[in-house]
Amino acid sequence: MYRRLELCSNRGGFEAVPEPARPIDLVEARRQLERAGIAVVDARVMLIAALEAEVTIARSGRLLFKTRDPKVAERALGRLSAILGLPARSPGPGADTAGGPSGRPRKRVGPGESI
Amino acid sequence: MARGVMLMSGGIDSPVALHYLLRRGHEMIAVHMDNRPFTDDTPIEKVADHLTVLRERYGQPIPLYMVPHGSTQITLMRNTDRHVGCILCRRFMWRSAERIAERENASFLATGEALGQVASQTLSNMRSATASVRLPIVRPLIGLDKVEIERVAKEIGTYGISTRPGICCQAVPPKPATRSNLVQILREEQKVDPESILDDCVRNTVLVK
Repeated sequence: MYRRLELCSNRGGFEAVPEPARPIDLVEARRQLERAGIAVVDARVMLIAALEAEVTIARSGRLLFKTRDPKVAERALGRLSAILGLPARSPGPGADTAGGPSGRPRKRVGPGESI
Repeated sequence: MARGVMLMSGGIDSPVALHYLLRRGHEMIAVHMDNRPFTDDTPIEKVADHLTVLRERYGQPIPLYMVPHGSTQITLMRNTDRHVGCILCRRFMWRSAERIAERENASFLATGEALGQVASQTLSNMRSATASVRLPIVRPLIGLDKVEIERVAKEIGTYGISTRPGICCQAVPPKPATRSNLVQILREEQKVDPESILDDCVRNTVLVK
């Protein structure tokens, strides 16, 4: 389940990570995205799809939305979830901070919140 | 003084390295490897702003070549061991820079690399990456630590540009190799057609200023 949409460590976009881990079948995901009329770059270990914001879809299930606007990221996540049948997102346990891969604290952003 | 080609990433280090070379009176040409769609537009904007600052400081033109690199990354990711992707990526960066140096009649290449700062900057990885080119490579920051580099970046006015929000390169593997041997790298590289990739990149290179 994608619980949180978080500002990435370099503050250039938002990322969502499934909890628990849920890999994405990229071959099937590409097919579904193209069927929905979305342009996709296939780099084998990841897809890059042109939604409301450009999104990187990693095989691990990590999603990175290249926008600094949380509302745009939310919309893109919702659309992507619908197309790929990703598990529905529930609100996170609060708007505190969580350590990212770099160890740097990141702000959690809920639906409609701004950063 | 000599004429050189400087690889500019948009990060903190490369404008500082360029500053040292300009201060010594070298005539420099900047090259940026455009990594979209694995990054966003911010590295391009940052490099353009870094050059504006340094052109004003030194009162000299610094031409900027933009080399498309995203398609190279895609080819590498599709065909080679991702573990050594950063080293292969850098081999293509160096080769592209060398092609531009030949075109510009430049006699050396330069980067902002500092030893051990990131996975690609270990001695074995630097050797594997730079074995793809013949021109000498100058690394003005090689022995400096991050604190020293950041101090100079603040002094010359490029730090604030470098630290603006942006997307990290998404092509970097989760566990990049920190040690490599050239035989292994060359074996991986044989899975693609380097000359054809390079020809495409150079053909689509744009001279910005």
